[in-house]
Amino acid sequence: MPATYYIDPDACLYLKHDTCQICVATCQSKAIDFSQKPIDKTYAVGAVIVSPGFGKVSEDVLKEYGYGSHPDVVTSIEFERMTNASGPLEGEVKCFNDGRHPKALAFIQCVGSRDIGCDNGYCSGVCCMYAIKEAIVAKEHDPECEISIFYMDIRTQGKDFDQAKLKAEAMGIKFIRAKVADVMNWGKQIKLTYSEMDGSHSFAPFDMVVLSVGLESPKDARGIADIAGFELNQYDFCKTDEFDPLKTSKEGVFVVGAFQVPKDIPESVTQSSAAASLTSALMKKYRGEGVVIKEYPTEIPVMDDDEVRVGVFVCHCGINISSVVDVASVASEAREFGNVVYATESLYSCSQDAQEVLKEKIKEHKLNRIVMTACSPRTHEPLFQETLKDAGLNRSLVEMVNIRDHCSWVHAQEPEEATAKSIDLVRMGVAKSRNNKPLTEQTVPVTKVALVIGGGVAGMTTALSIAAQGFPVHLIERGEKLGGNLVNIKTTLRGENPAKLLKELTAKIKKEKLVSVYLNSELQTVSGFVGNFSSVIATGKTKKKKEVTLDHGVIVLATGGTEHRTKNFKLGTVKKVVTQFELEAKLAGKGKNRAPDSVVMIQCAGSRGDDLDYCSKVCCNQAVKNALKIKDINPESQVIVLYRDMRTYGFAEDQYKEAREKGVIFVPYELAKKPKVLSGKTDVVEYFDPILQEKVTINPKLIVLSVGLVPEGTETLSKLLKAPVTANEFFLEAHVKLRPVELAVEGVYVCGLAHGPKPIDETIVQAQAASAKAAMPLVKGTVKVAPTVSIIDKDKCIGCGICTVVCPYNAIDMLKIDKKRKAETVAASCKGCGICASRCPTFAIDMGGFTQDQILAQIKAFGNLEEV
Amino acid sequence: MGKAQNACAGCTSSSDDRAGSVMVVGGGVAGLQTAMDLTDLGFYVYLVEKGPAIGGAMAQLDKTFPTNDCSL
Amino acid sequence: MSDANPKILGFLCNWCCYAAADAAGVARYQYPPNIRTIRVMCTGRIDPAFILQGFAQGAAGIFAGG
Repeated sequence: MPATYYIDPDACLYLKHDTCQICVATCQSKAIDFSQKPIDKTYAVGAVIVSPGFGKVSEDVLKEYGYGSHPDVVTSIEFERMTNASGPLEGEVKCFNDGRHPKALAFIQCVGSRDIGCDNGYCSGVCCMYAIKEAIVAKEHDPECEISIFYMDIRTQGKDFDQAKLKAEAMGIKFIRAKVADVMNWGKQIKLTYSEMDGSHSFAPFDMVVLSVGLESPKDARGIADIAGFELNQYDFCKTDEFDPLKTSKEGVFVVGAFQVPKDIPESVTQSSAAASLTSALMKKYRGEGVVIKEYPTEIPVMDDDEVRVGVFVCHCGINISSVVDVASVASEAREFGNVVYATESLYSCSQDAQEVLKEKIKEHKLNRIVMTACSPRTHEPLFQETLKDAGLNRSLVEMVNIRDHCSWVHAQEPEEATAKSIDLVRMGVAKSRNNKPLTEQTVPVTKVALVIGGGVAGMTTALSIAAQGFPVHLIERGEKLGGNLVNIKTTLRGENPAKLLKELTAKIKKEKLVSVYLNSELQTVSGFVGNFSSVIATGKTKKKKEVTLDHGVIVLATGGTEHRTKNFKLGTVKKVVTQFELEAKLAGKGKNRAPDSVVMIQCAGSRGDDLDYCSKVCCNQAVKNALKIKDINPESQVIVLYRDMRTYGFAEDQYKEAREKGVIFVPYELAKKPKVLSGKTDVVEYFDPILQEKVTINPKLIVLSVGLVPEGTETLSKLLKAPVTANEFFLEAHVKLRPVELAVEGVYVCGLAHGPKPIDETIVQAQAASAKAAMPLVKGTVKVAPTVSIIDKDKCIGCGICTVVCPYNAIDMLKIDKKRKAETVAASCKGCGICASRCPTFAIDMGGFTQDQILAQIKAFGNLEEV
Repeated sequence: MGKAQNACAGCTSSSDDRAGSVMVVGGGVAGLQTAMDLTDLGFYVYLVEKGPAIGGAMAQLDKTFPTNDCSL
Repeated sequence: MSDANPKILGFLCNWCCYAAADAAGVARYQYPPNIRTIRVMCTGRIDPAFILQGFAQGAAGIFAGG
């Protein structure tokens, strides 16, 4: 999104033909200067982070799918632009052929991925997700549109991603496991020929076909690698080590994002923070030397008796709001409300140019109260508060009215009522804003120490990364030694040795003076707030247990997870039924029959709709790894893997291919036809063979279950820290995309299996990311306290002390002032709940941002009786 | 390039260059987040982007999976 | 005031019910449009006077979500 205009050098007459230049004379601010030339600049920097993103699949590959020969065969990126309200079609999906709305839409998966024909053997790891997203959006645009997704495996292995697939299915989107053999022009339509698992061939016409294109290495990958001096892998992505995933082969150069391996936004964002941590450790000596402190203009004083001048800004949010709510009439109604001197609309209020407009309008109309009528203050209030500060207004003078999440999105079928509700909410917001007062932020010093809970690979990595940045760490571990699941993993799919990693990490921790380790220790209580926590831990073996109090500024939760012991498939009752972890331990040993002649592996045993709802992300790779190991030890062994979707995303696809080449048999099953372990004379596996189209019974020597992972101890910690968990009891991050390692509770971070199932390399990155986020308050040295805290009028206070009793946060002290008892707020502890205010018998307590006056004004505006 | 060749990982020594500075190459979501986190950790960042605007592929997206939130 | 479309005034706690209402939006969960809401930092903020005032202003019901 360019916030300023930009000259397209391919279209510019001056640059191409040395003529025209009309723009130079026309531009009033003289912003066009054709004499500018590219110049080389040299900077000495301490580290370089490369994040060039990904490249496009070549048109030659797309041609195979009819791209270019039929106008309505489009790529997923083109389709994304079509559905986008700010895109070229303003969100209206139309066939290029004749402008009709497509009624039959097909998505073809794995275009340019998992395809050795175009040298992209890997899985791009994002296409299944965006195809489901685009299909849902298309269905929301036009519920009558029939949508089919043609796929090999649906790889929604990310945290809670399967839920979106279930939602898509519930909306009537069809998932067809089939290879599309041919894409043919069929008049206005496109005909697809495809073959399904049972060997049948089908044809179907579609109005539009979307190619789910994969992510390639960036076009100039070689060039970047040569300039920076690091190596690439066989697919021209950046080559890195599994246990040090962001370090390139060149010291001081790190890689993040899709260039490391194709990945989605949350993984990229996590890697970004992780790279920041690595850089921060490398350059800790120079921290703070080059920074420029942002300065704000002096705050314009807003006095009680100043004229109240309200500005109302109503957001379209693309079409998220404006497709339901009549934004223009909301704005024009707002103009009629008392004290409103300006009201306008904007396409995206949160965009950068909208902030500039907001600042200009504040100046132009001398606005001293702003009502942003848009989305949730929970996500966007800080942005507008910042803009107000830039405009010289106190941040508390902005009020948000949520007409998206609470209106357009939830009353999509009732546009008139939604508009009426929006107008009412704006009236209430304006009424409140008239009573908004400038409030000052307080700053509190930070205890520059971190507490890390959990001593597995995540906890050890976080502790070491925080220490490497220069801060002391208390690392507490429930068990009697460090290591967690690293002890159980014998080798990785790529052949790395976790035991070696464990040895290295343990040695580093021993050497690192800044890390103090507490074994046999558990958290008992936590009090305080970001920057100033105080925790009590019980430490030592049972008989010698003692309590220790630790002061710290931040907390990282790395409590890990464990194998899920499913009650199904006769695990624990039949001897030859084992889990992948048990098999792994066996394969790593020296037992004679450790790789028997026949093995059946059952994937998702206990996961994805069995006794657990979710996908555990690691089991498919683990099954491929163990299958390969069996084949390695005993090439004659017959290994059958019964699976729902093989989720060997990224470069693991290579090993999946290798396993098939070595004769491992992969047989898909559907949830409705789950394999069973049956006991008769012998214990057998019964499954439905999709090629034979009948039930098959097999009596293998070993039945291996991929059981999935469950979190450990999140429930207790969630209560102690008031940190939310998901339905599956993993910690819930503050924002799935943009704050993937932070929790809603400030100063508390999460990484590893406590966040969700993931393999070692992703755990390491996440731990490094958590260490960057956790170091931020420690680097700053102070934290700002939001001014939405209680304010006590000492003249009205009678010293009854009810407020100190009811306060859940111990945030009110009783003082003696002139021999009289008076209450006083401890701002840093106050969470702004307002219980004290509602219980104060003399109305001596008010809440910043939620005063009696503000709320009563809102209620009166609700009734519409007050003059507005 | 003389200066760059003298540089070593982790140090920014010469007097006319900004101490404690880092270069991020690529202004997509990964590069932007890295740059923001580095400034929060006390470093000066040179963010280099080949194109005329930052935002990368994410700026082209309408909504994001799985919640279908807006991608701005 | 018609009973078929009673006007409801809601007080939503920022941390749970307001967040839930946001989540309902994200999930496109559809519900009747006759509620008007006021965000508070906790339902503990709700002074009994707010409820009385709400009824005085014509609310058919008051919803406290926390």
